[in-house]
Amino acid sequence: MAMDRRTFLRVSAGAAGGCLLCADATLASPGKKQQDFGSNVAMLNDLTRCVGCRACQSACKSYYDLDQYGPMEGLDTPGGLSEANHCVIKEYKEGDEQSYIKRQCMHCNHPSCVSACPVAALEKQDNGVVTYDPDACIGCRYCMVACPFNVPRFEWNSAAPKIQKCTFCEERIAAGEDPVCEDACPTDAITFGTRDELLKEAHRRIAENPDRYENEVYGETNAGGTSVIYLAGVSFDKLGLRDFGEEPLPELAEKVQHGIFKFFVAPVALFGLLGLTRASNMRCDPDDEDCIEE
Amino acid sequence: MDEHSYRKPRPHLPTKEDIAQYEDVWERFPRAPQEKKLWTPAFTTGVAIIAVGILLLLIRFIFGLGSITNLSSGFPWGLWIAFDVVVGIALASGGFVTAALVYIFNLGKYSPLVRPALVTALLGYAMAAFGVFIDVGRWWQLYNPVLPWHWQGSSALFEVALCVMSYLLVLIIEFAPTVIDKLSTNKDSKLKRFAIRIRPILEKVMILFIILGVVISTMHQSSLGSIMLLMSHRLHALWFTPWLPLLFLMSAIAVGMHVVIVESMLSAKTFGRRIEMPLLSGLAKRSIAFLGLYVIIKLMDLIWADEFTMLFTSWWGLLWWVEVLLFGMVPVFLLSFKAFRRDPRWLFWISWMVIGGLILNRFNVYLFAVQAYDGWTYFPTMWEVIVSASIVAFIFVGYKYLSNKFPVLHKEEGLAKA
Repeated sequence: MAMDRRTFLRVSAGAAGGCLLCADATLASPGKKQQDFGSNVAMLNDLTRCVGCRACQSACKSYYDLDQYGPMEGLDTPGGLSEANHCVIKEYKEGDEQSYIKRQCMHCNHPSCVSACPVAALEKQDNGVVTYDPDACIGCRYCMVACPFNVPRFEWNSAAPKIQKCTFCEERIAAGEDPVCEDACPTDAITFGTRDELLKEAHRRIAENPDRYENEVYGETNAGGTSVIYLAGVSFDKLGLRDFGEEPLPELAEKVQHGIFKFFVAPVALFGLLGLTRASNMRCDPDDEDCIEE
Repeated sequence: MDEHSYRKPRPHLPTKEDIAQYEDVWERFPRAPQEKKLWTPAFTTGVAIIAVGILLLLIRFIFGLGSITNLSSGFPWGLWIAFDVVVGIALASGGFVTAALVYIFNLGKYSPLVRPALVTALLGYAMAAFGVFIDVGRWWQLYNPVLPWHWQGSSALFEVALCVMSYLLVLIIEFAPTVIDKLSTNKDSKLKRFAIRIRPILEKVMILFIILGVVISTMHQSSLGSIMLLMSHRLHALWFTPWLPLLFLMSAIAVGMHVVIVESMLSAKTFGRRIEMPLLSGLAKRSIAFLGLYVIIKLMDLIWADEFTMLFTSWWGLLWWVEVLLFGMVPVFLLSFKAFRRDPRWLFWISWMVIGGLILNRFNVYLFAVQAYDGWTYFPTMWEVIVSASIVAFIFVGYKYLSNKFPVLHKEEGLAKA
């Protein structure tokens, strides 16, 4: 395995340069990052107005033709989100406290699923909607593991399975219509608008009726903020909406990943270092037992 | 470079004249195929397990993952990802560790261990890739990470996918000389002459692939840890740390050495060879530093994060202790004694302890310590276990077949005297 050192170094340098170029072009800019979320489309779920009729749930199911398969427990109370239920109403009841909770994709400002997806099948669009492209998806389910709200669902019993979750009715929004669940709601518990607008409206409702509401808009800052925000009369923790702090959840992982691979410096440096180690080790004392070339 | 500065590398390659001169070409090589009986009871059992696994996978591909697995929305990743892929890749690190020792740090005495370790790594990575293939839902699109318009640099899994694919290629290139050696013993043919002609070219560029293999390995071994950095909200605090990538890399390097030790001892038993003991105890000695440093980083991290008391206040602490005693503390203690390092029986079981501890660590990080939502639970089905077993069986069966047919293992007379 003889190769003179100059040739070796030259080849290494070339390889390093090549890597740097392609790394700079692609890995350094992993998709656009939104800074201002105020004008994103958003949805306010005012749980104090919800009467648990599940009109949103069945509107969603029939609009997206989702009832062709998927488990149902009883007539109208599926166990939870599933590949056939993108929007689910569940009841919370303990003692005198009672509330319904609408579960769906939160369309996070900093979505973990988007950060996780190895092939950019999940993407955060300019209007804030987190979309899914089955033609890119490899079905690895990292999004499901990563999602703090446990939203994405997988078609376990299909030979060509897809990830299923609330699409925020992206085509309807693009056509100037409202999401189907918002249209279906008879009590105006669901409001559709921009994020700024709805946050203002949510705070107005709390200020007007402080006894009716918990003094918090869930999703305003939680996990870096979400597009789907909640008002409730009981504490969010009891409804399964957990407190994740204000830091966006993917931040640490992305910092580490981009730190290690910034412009591909570390791997290229390692390549060079190992090459130099090899080159310098070739010149040791041949009588040393530990220094025999094969 | 000065011709006398180091000992002449390997025996020179056979030219056409050489071959004509020597009837038994293997005499000119340091390695030879074993050519022992292949279909022993153990080998047959292995093949039978693989056959059952294939049948089960037919069901999986026709009716979907739900048909034979217990995977669920709460546990989208189960035994196949944790064991076949994450554990498998860590255990297959022996290939790059021995290659680095011999070809980068120039510790030529370990060279008899390189090819068998390479075969193990090749089979291990092939099976890890196969494990991904059967586990992903949309397998026909599995090449998507290669396409630049799908690249997603924030995802540790994207990097792992690219690295595993490219490392598999590197391993195939590193394995090529073994195939060529075999081909050059064939009866004279076009293929044989091609093999002999391409051998020196391959040797000239091989070092680049070896270094590339080491770089790619450090990248994806650590990134397997980075994958779980997104799960600060799900992974138990005793295992969640920003140091996961470093811990995964260090533990992979350490366990790689012990896999080589076990693999070498098992293959000595299978083929009725002498155990390469001085080499193996040397390797064990080198693993102490990695194991020791790994344990120290793990402890320092817990103290730093003020989570040290958690080790004594819950069942999770107990699980942590079992893991770190197996993968770290006990082996470091035992291996620091020459007597244990040099005794094949002790070394064999110490190495198994390290491997067992690593398996427990990866299961903890990917399954046990991952908090499920809404009361989801997971326990693998019998079918999942059988498929994983047939993947292990394939590695054993493949190892025996390859070292039986190809010049993988050193000739015994060439080995260092014990």
